[in-house]
Amino acid sequence: MSHITLTAKAVARSVDCRALLPEALQGKTVAEIASIKLAANLSVADVFEVSVDTASEAAAVTFKNTTSAHQYIGFGMTTGQINVVGDAGDFLGAQLQNGVLICTGNAGARAGDRMRRGMLLIEGNAGDYCGSDMMAGTLGVLGTTGAHLGYGMKRGTLLLAHTPAAQATWVDCGFHKLPFLNILYKSFKRLDSRFAQISSQRVQRWMGDMGGLGKAEILVIQS
Amino acid sequence: MVINGVEIDDTFAEAFNMRGTRILITAQNLRWAYNAANAMTGFATSVIGCGVEAGIERELTEDETPDGRPGLSVLMFAMGSKVLMQQLETRMGQCILTCPTAAAFAGIESEDMISLGKHLRFFGDGYQVSKQIPDANGKLKRYWRIPVMDGEFLTEETTGMVRAIGGGNFLVLGASQAQVLTACEAAIDAMRQLPNVIMPFPGGVVRSGSKVGSKYPKMFASTNDAFCPTLKGVVKSELDPRVESVMEIVVNGLTFEDIAVSMKAGIEAACSLGKDNGILRISAGNYGGKLGQHHFKLRPILSGEVSA
Repeated sequence: MSHITLTAKAVARSVDCRALLPEALQGKTVAEIASIKLAANLSVADVFEVSVDTASEAAAVTFKNTTSAHQYIGFGMTTGQINVVGDAGDFLGAQLQNGVLICTGNAGARAGDRMRRGMLLIEGNAGDYCGSDMMAGTLGVLGTTGAHLGYGMKRGTLLLAHTPAAQATWVDCGFHKLPFLNILYKSFKRLDSRFAQISSQRVQRWMGDMGGLGKAEILVIQS
Repeated sequence: MVINGVEIDDTFAEAFNMRGTRILITAQNLRWAYNAANAMTGFATSVIGCGVEAGIERELTEDETPDGRPGLSVLMFAMGSKVLMQQLETRMGQCILTCPTAAAFAGIESEDMISLGKHLRFFGDGYQVSKQIPDANGKLKRYWRIPVMDGEFLTEETTGMVRAIGGGNFLVLGASQAQVLTACEAAIDAMRQLPNVIMPFPGGVVRSGSKVGSKYPKMFASTNDAFCPTLKGVVKSELDPRVESVMEIVVNGLTFEDIAVSMKAGIEAACSLGKDNGILRISAGNYGGKLGQHHFKLRPILSGEVSA
């Protein structure tokens, strides 16, 4: 397996990173990755320094020095792990199909949009429409969340460290101690992330988005 | 062969191929884990009347359970996969789902995975929640969270089904009922220390060993008259005049070796009481060797030969 590290160069434009998935980059050389086109007039080499560690146990991509200009990181990922050491732009983990995506900084709007499976863990803040139209999976945010949280969300779990603003289409189900969280937290323990430090099984639960299917949940961790 | 004055018959236990599974049951504390596991393994002494043979394998520490709570490991055996699946689902629904704070997880990996909470989830009436969470090895496992009155019932979707063996056994023959029971208790205590086996009868011991057939045409099995002490002299008895009581320990396990090792431990514990405490003979139940696929020969097993 390969662990690819993409260290971002300073950019004056937005960068669409949807082509840079662990499954897409497996087995590729530095030169091959560097030549991948991100847009008509933009290749990986223009915006990232590339390094490849072929001795990795798991398929992984690590982005470093990224900013809000780097959009669509992890878009449609099906396997492996992406680490974003820095901020991420809009649509972080959008249409995630499986795997784990960890962002140590802040994420832009529509993080986890239409996500179907897997885990998206944001250690910083998430922008507006976080979890919009999400179909399943787990999206965690340790920082704050923006407006229209879980807009149109069908199923899945938003695990939050901070209580979000009340929304008309999300229903408060009260405070609970949920045993399944122990299993979820155990899975966090193997990750190099601040999420590994969470231990409280007591949460406040909301269900929504009642404007749609209404079978998603927001769990706010209680200390 | 004689151990501590106890004669070991030159005979064998005849055992059968079965299908087995393991379930891990957790709860808020061991008291409630036992309540759930005792219910699930209740009325599961013999496939003849119960469908499955089941028992508690051992206690699990909080580090050994998926959800970090105290728990118990349960083994369940049936003659076929269909019966095992039916019984597991029924017992999950009536015994684990109903028990406060209890949760159930797969206890064994196999290519054959059978439903644990896969169908039970519909009890949630549309409010059930599926979560796929990677285990310690990164392998995704699917859990179901079903809303119930005490909070949420948590269960893994499937557990593994493996080929197993049922019907390993030995008979303890002694001078009195009390002495034989004491020896059987010692044997069960020793056997319960070992993994991958259960002794499904009450307290691990069965007093009503059976033979194939009966004078009554509708009966498939009837009392093992050759080992009934009150019929000495009436039937072709296996018992000498000194024997006043016989009890049997039946053991089911995941492999031949598991059963052989547990039989050895059990027989040695029973024999440790010795002739002075009224333990006279150890024998085993078989059907002439024509029905069962596995033969557990007592003397080789006690000599340390534990492979088939």
